[in-house]
Amino acid sequence: MVTTLKKKIFASIIITQLFLMGCSTHVVVISEHPTALIKVLPYKIGLVLDNSFTDYSFTREKDEEKITISLGKSQSELLNQTFNSMFQGVSEFTVKPISQIKPIDLYVSVVVEDLQLSLPRETSVNVFEIWIKYKLEIFDSKGSSIHEWIISSYGRTQTRFLGSQERALHQATNAALRDAGVQIVTDFYQVPEILNWINIKKAQKNES
Amino acid sequence: MKARGLGEVVVICSFSLSMLIITFMSGCSTSTTIDEQKSSSTKLSMDGEEKIVIMGRRHGNSYETEPGFIDCIGNKISRSENLNVVQEKIFLDTFYPWFEPRIAPLNLNRMKVVLDNDVVAKKIRKLKIRYIVWVDGSTETTEESGSMTCGMAPSGGCFGFKSWDKASSYEATVWDLRGLTEKGKIKVDSKGSSYLLGVGPPIPLIAQVQGVACEGVSDRLKGFFDNG
Repeated sequence: MVTTLKKKIFASIIITQLFLMGCSTHVVVISEHPTALIKVLPYKIGLVLDNSFTDYSFTREKDEEKITISLGKSQSELLNQTFNSMFQGVSEFTVKPISQIKPIDLYVSVVVEDLQLSLPRETSVNVFEIWIKYKLEIFDSKGSSIHEWIISSYGRTQTRFLGSQERALHQATNAALRDAGVQIVTDFYQVPEILNWINIKKAQKNES
Repeated sequence: MKARGLGEVVVICSFSLSMLIITFMSGCSTSTTIDEQKSSSTKLSMDGEEKIVIMGRRHGNSYETEPGFIDCIGNKISRSENLNVVQEKIFLDTFYPWFEPRIAPLNLNRMKVVLDNDVVAKKIRKLKIRYIVWVDGSTETTEESGSMTCGMAPSGGCFGFKSWDKASSYEATVWDLRGLTEKGKIKVDSKGSSYLLGVGPPIPLIAQVQGVACEGVSDRLKGFFDNG
């Protein structure tokens, strides 16, 4: 009698778990980011990525469906790869050092400001879309702020016949990360404040 | 007498089903229109080591050229002709970020700006990339009708009928990176209807709309190049 009851409880737990699993999507973003094809500048960068960035996970609960996208590791790798392509050296920090560290010329601190997603059933378009908004704070070697830069990256993937939602969201997130890399590589030197800093550095080097 | 009657019914049913399938199969055929425009009647020359890249346009708001379609063209060209085709993904990663959707050159003037970047130009020369073929378009389902229920029929199979129409529209543009000129365009439009017939196990009768478009673009592209 007791054994039958235990079996029933166990079965109901399993069934409940299965239903709960059916209503949730968890995407762990894994990607290999390409090296950017760009002229390397002779400066050393301190990349400040705190734990909230390196472990970043986005969760959305809507219409009894839970979607989680874990992209902390992948976006940290992207930034490391991107800045390594652009500059002579990159050192990673979890917090911006208070005292001046000799070989670092520029500190870049990055935080995720926002992440939004849309599913095909929510829009009239047959695509999964991801928007990621990053805030990059750029400091000189003494810790003085040079510029605060917001970039909005976008990625999408079309729905595929019999393709899973996890796979589509993974592809869309990867596309958004790739797009963030594009903007950092191509627009970094267009920011007037950064351009000015580079010119000052060049002038100092020429004088010495 | 009764057994013979049953046999006749089976034969009639099989015949009807076969006729139905043949009718649907004929409905599955696709119609294709191909337009071609070349800047010169002579074939495009290539040195033995020079390469072609086939890439999809992905800057549009509502669609993107499917990577699978680009792979299909690349595979068909490199398999049947003596042409060196660089895979899209490899090219995009090698030249990251210059051909990503946000900043990919949409015309030859913008391509010149990209090639003004020494690092990019040097890499293009090193890898002997001679031609870029941009493919713009997509395949979309234009109409759907009918419905099918599976697991509800007494046999446990499917019951119902579903049909859908698909339309492909692609345009391929050939750029010669030596001299930065456009060498021609190919436009392919194809459409077809597919059916899913549920009488027990579902019988799919799929029109290969995208496959036909891929075949059309590839065949014409092969005609552009002199493969020595």
